[in-house]
Amino acid sequence: MTLSYVPGDTLAHRLDPRSKLCFQVAFAAAAYAYTTPRGLAALTVVAAGALIVAGGGPRSLWSYRFAFPFLLVAPLVAGGTLGDPWFRIDRAVETTLASYRVLLVLAVAAAYVRSTPVRDSRAALQRTVPGRFGVMAGVGVSLVFRFLPLLTRDLTSAREAIAARGGEQVAVHVRMRLVATAGINRAFERADRLGVALTARCFAWNPTLPRLAFGRFDGLVLAISAGLVVVAIV
Amino acid sequence: MVAVIDVRGVTCRCGGRNSDGVVAVNDVTLSIGDGEFVVLAGANGSGKTTLIRTFNGLVKPTSGHVSVNGRPVTDDLVAARQAVGMVFQDPRDQLVAATVGADVAFGPENLGCSHAEIDRRVREALAAVNLSGREADRIATLSGGERERVAIAGALAMEPDHLVCDEPFTGLDEPARRSVLDRLRVLHERGTGIVIVTHDLRDVFHLADRVVGLSDGRVVVDAPPAEAAESLSDIGVRVPERTVGDEVDNWTEPGR
Repeated sequence: MTLSYVPGDTLAHRLDPRSKLCFQVAFAAAAYAYTTPRGLAALTVVAAGALIVAGGGPRSLWSYRFAFPFLLVAPLVAGGTLGDPWFRIDRAVETTLASYRVLLVLAVAAAYVRSTPVRDSRAALQRTVPGRFGVMAGVGVSLVFRFLPLLTRDLTSAREAIAARGGEQVAVHVRMRLVATAGINRAFERADRLGVALTARCFAWNPTLPRLAFGRFDGLVLAISAGLVVVAIV
Repeated sequence: MVAVIDVRGVTCRCGGRNSDGVVAVNDVTLSIGDGEFVVLAGANGSGKTTLIRTFNGLVKPTSGHVSVNGRPVTDDLVAARQAVGMVFQDPRDQLVAATVGADVAFGPENLGCSHAEIDRRVREALAAVNLSGREADRIATLSGGERERVAIAGALAMEPDHLVCDEPFTGLDEPARRSVLDRLRVLHERGTGIVIVTHDLRDVFHLADRVVGLSDGRVVVDAPPAEAAESLSDIGVRVPERTVGDEVDNWTEPGR
């Protein structure tokens, strides 16, 4: 399953993407400021709420599974020492909390991606960040969101194609090499085809951006965001 | 008839430097008129896709000239791409948004149309392919035939003079083929020029005004379907059996 926009009529879908972006930034700031168990527990409630409001759930986080091994291994690496006592629990706990913090930020990001069309994200960035940087950021974000689902689908099909011809009997490192090679080849091909498709449809740096408008719930989200920023600073 | 797409002595080499690349299109001269239904037929590797991509500047010819509505394509690529709407062989290569409405709106947004104009174009393009009211549907949930129709709608939203479809029936089952074919027929009746690229003429034989046969990058036949049928079977194009040596009017499409 690839994380992408899911049409819907949830509260998160009705919010202006600018307030959702603001909330994301504020949440990340608060998460980085508060890594205590109590702080993270409070932020867990906020992150879970955001995901539920966007119509998502634990399954949405499965899209980030590529990050899980790193988040799980990080505390072991951090806790390990080269000499006596060989493993420091305090360091491992500290890194575990940091890993968990990343997971919470990913959950809020998942809520955003689920509830925000790519072109709305682009519009939000271009309207929030002035000048060329805003245009570049908007185009960059829209291309990444368009390209990643295609790329993950290609990798999945490469893996399936290898499995379909008995590839599962082959050693893991050989399979990894095969999938990586096929994946890189397909990524280049895919980038090429996406480029042609965008060109054929007159891709423009400054297209007509969708209408964005703050609604009554955006005020509430902006207030929560401001609260999170204050919490992070204080 | 006003020539909308005019191709003069076009040669395209690819896969190497100009002097030693493979010749995909070899000295092709072709004119496609306003509102014509033209089938570009040829076996795999005959240069069909490369040729149509010169129509809107996606491929730059090594030599020769392509003009659209009397204006060289290279002078105004946006105008050429607006005038020649292109539907790719695999719609998955073409659909760039998550939902039907967003994808169809992509072209008009890039053209800088107003919101009202974008809404109108999306509505009309979806109606033309019989997908009215499906704006919020996820592309990922659509069937192959529906994706093909969304891809056509995306091209139609640019309000092109000509719609160029690269192998539009590949991978579609019979109902989906009929649906796409029916939409193309309606569009043609409303005055949109249609160019279909295919190696199988059975679906479009009775609709085409003209068939252009390509072999090894060269035009080997350019004639009405009934006249072209015999030459086409020689270059690896599948034609309805009864049309070879028979009057086209006597041929009845199977299953219709």
